[in-house]
Amino acid sequence: MLYLNTSSQAPYLGALPESTSLPLLQQVMRVSARRVLTGLLILGGISTLTQFLRFCLPCRQPSQGAGEPVTVLVRDGWRVSSDVPLVFVGGVPRSGTTLMRAMLDAHPAVRCGEETRVVPRILGLKLGWAAEKEGVSTKVLDRAVTAFLLQIIAGHGEPAPLLCNKDPFTLKSAKYLAHLFPNSKFLLMLRDGRAAVYSMISRRVTIGGFDLSSYRDCLAKWSGATQAMLTQCTQVGSKRCLAVRYERLVLHPRSTLQTVLKFLGLPWHEGVLHHEEAIGKPGGVSLSKTERSTDQVMRPVNLDALTRWVGHMPPDVMADMDAIAPMLGRLGYDPRANPPNYGQSDPQFLNNTQRMSMKGSQTER
Amino acid sequence: MRGQKVSMLLGCALLCSASLLYLGLSGIDCPPPDHAHRHTWADAHLGSTNQSQASPIYYGEDTPLIFIGGFPRSGTTLMRAMLDAHNAVRCGEETRVIPRLLAMRATWSRSARERVRLDEAGVTDQVLDSAMRAFLLEVIIGHGEPAARLCNKDPFALKSLSYLARIFPQAKFVLMLRDGRATVHSMISRKVTISGFDLTSYRDCLTKWSRAVEGMYSQCQGAPEGSCLPVRYEQLVLHPEVEMRKLLSFLGLPWDPAVLHHEDLIGKAGGVSLSKVERSTDQVVNPVNTDALSKWVGHIPSDVLREMDDIAPMLARLGYDPLANPPDYARPDPIIAPKNYTLADDDFLLLSFREQKPYIPVRWRRR
Repeated sequence: MLYLNTSSQAPYLGALPESTSLPLLQQVMRVSARRVLTGLLILGGISTLTQFLRFCLPCRQPSQGAGEPVTVLVRDGWRVSSDVPLVFVGGVPRSGTTLMRAMLDAHPAVRCGEETRVVPRILGLKLGWAAEKEGVSTKVLDRAVTAFLLQIIAGHGEPAPLLCNKDPFTLKSAKYLAHLFPNSKFLLMLRDGRAAVYSMISRRVTIGGFDLSSYRDCLAKWSGATQAMLTQCTQVGSKRCLAVRYERLVLHPRSTLQTVLKFLGLPWHEGVLHHEEAIGKPGGVSLSKTERSTDQVMRPVNLDALTRWVGHMPPDVMADMDAIAPMLGRLGYDPRANPPNYGQSDPQFLNNTQRMSMKGSQTER
Repeated sequence: MRGQKVSMLLGCALLCSASLLYLGLSGIDCPPPDHAHRHTWADAHLGSTNQSQASPIYYGEDTPLIFIGGFPRSGTTLMRAMLDAHNAVRCGEETRVIPRLLAMRATWSRSARERVRLDEAGVTDQVLDSAMRAFLLEVIIGHGEPAARLCNKDPFALKSLSYLARIFPQAKFVLMLRDGRATVHSMISRKVTISGFDLTSYRDCLTKWSRAVEGMYSQCQGAPEGSCLPVRYEQLVLHPEVEMRKLLSFLGLPWDPAVLHHEDLIGKAGGVSLSKVERSTDQVVNPVNTDALSKWVGHIPSDVLREMDDIAPMLARLGYDPLANPPDYARPDPIIAPKNYTLADDDFLLLSFREQKPYIPVRWRRR
C-alpha cells in the first residue's frame, strides 16, 4: 500500500511508507482492525462449519451399557433381567437343532423347552421397524423387545440356572440378540444341506420361503440362510458363538458335547448322552406334540438320518450342486460326493443305530 | 500483503481439515434427547410419588394407563394434546409400534391351530399376555417424560380395546368419535394415507370408516363398566370445558384449567410434546377451534350423499343425521341405544359388516 503524501515527493515502490500523513496509531489500528475482523470471520466460519458437521456426521449413541438392564417379573417372586446367562440354539431347520436342545435340556442346569414360534416373529417385526425414524427411539424399542423376549423365554418353561431358547431362525439375528442380552451365547447347528433339504421335502415340513416342490430352490435357500447365519455368528465372535455340525454331534456325541458344555461354561453331566431317558421328566426334556422332530428326538442319538438323502437328489440338481449351493463346498461338504465321508462313528453309539434298525424304525424315511 | 493473506488462508484450510478429521475420527456424541431437561421438572413435581421409571417391575398389570384412540382424523391428537397439558398426565406422540404388535397378537390368536401349537410350546395366553404387557409398558414408560398418569395415543390401538382392557384391568379408554364425513374429507383432502383406504373414493373410505368405527365402538361398549368413554369431537370443540370436566372426572383426575389452553404448553417441560412428522401437528398448535367442523360440506359427491345411510350406517347410529349437510352439531342427537353385542374373549378384531338396517328415530329432520 502506498500513501501519497501531500508533499510532492514521489513514492517509491517496495518500501515501507515512511510518510506520516496519517497518524501512526490510526494506521496501526486500521491494519489490526482488519486482521481482527478477518480472524473473527474465520473463527465464525469454523464454528458454523463445526455445528453444521455436528448435524451431518453420524453421532455416537450414548453407550447402551450405561442403562440399567431390563427386568421382568415372570411369575410370583421370579424376576429375570436382560443380563441373565442365555443360550440361543438355531440354524436352518432340519439341521439337528431339536436334538441339540434336547441333549442340553437333559443337563440339570439348562432349560430350553420347545420352539416358542413367537420369538422369531417379534425379531422380524423389529427388523421391519428398524428403518423408521418416527415413533419410539431405538433404545426404547430395544428395551421393549428385550422385555417381551425375556417374558416368553423365561415364562414358557421351568426356571433353570442357564435359560436357553431354540427357534431355528433366531440365529439370523444373532448380532442383535447379542446386543440385547450381554451374557448370551449362541449355538449354530450346521448340516450337509442335501440332508437338510431332503428332510424338509420328504417330511413336508413347511418353512417360510422354501418351495418344497423344488430341490433346487430349497438348496439355494439353504445356502443363503446358512451363509447369513454364519456371518452373524462370525460377527458375534468365537467367544460367544459356536458352530456345531450335526454329523459330528451324532458320530461323536461325547466329544462334541464336551466342547459345547465347555463353551457354555457348564460342568459335564452324563445325562446329556441319554436325553431320551429324561423326556417328560421334571427338569428334563419337554417335547411338543406338534413339532416335526419330536418323533425322532424321542429316540437315542443315532446315525439313521445321516445319509438318507443319497439317491434322492434329482440328477440335474446334482450336476449343478456347487453352483446352486456354494455353502456346501465352503463348509467342507464335497458337493460332488454322494455321500461325502462324514466320519466314523463312536462304537458306543453305533449300538444305538443297530438297536434302532433291529427294532425297525417307525418312520420309513 | 498477499503473501500474508495466502499464508493465513492456508492456515485456515489446515485448521478446518484438522478439525474435520478429528471430528470424523473421534465421533461426536449425540446431543442429549429433548426429554433430558424435562426430567428435572419431573423430579420437582413428582417428589411425592415414589414411582421409578423405566422398569416394569414397578408398573404391573394394575397400572392405570389411559389409552386414547379412534379412527384417524377424529380429534385424537387434539384430545391427547389437551390431556398432555394436564400436569399429572403424559401421553406423548404416536408410538406407531403398539398398534402393529397388537395386530400381530390378534393374528396369532385367530387361528385355532396356531393356538394349539403355542399352547404345546408352553406359550400359553398367560405367557403371551405377560410378554405383551411388558412390551407395552416399556414403550409407554420410555416414550416420554415420567408422569403420575401415563397415557398412549395410537388411533388404531383401540381395534384391540377388549384385549387391552383384559391385560390392563385398571386402564381407561377414550374413544374419539366424529362425523365420518368430516373424517373422510380430512383424510382425502390432506392425503393422509391409511392402509386399505382408497383416497380417490369417498364411497370406499366412508364404507370402511363405518366398519372400523363399528368395531371399535362395540368393544368400547363391551368393555368393563366405567372403563371406556366415547367422546365426540364436535362436542369437544364446541364445549371444551364441559367435555373436559366430564373426561377428567371419568379418568379420576382433578380439574386443571391448563387443559383448555394446551397451545401454551407446546414444547414445554411437563407440557405437550409434538411430533414433526405427525399429520395433525400443524393444526394442534392452535387453540381449540371449530374451524374443521363443517369443512366437508359440499365436497362429497352427490351419489354418495344420496346413499349415505347405506354406505355408512354408523353415522345414524352415532347420532349424525346421514342426510343433513351438515347436521346441527350444536344440538347433537344422542347415540342410538346399542345392540346387544356379546364379544367372545378373543374377538378383538374388526366385527364383520352387519347387513341390518339401523334403527332411525322418526324425529330426524330430513333437509
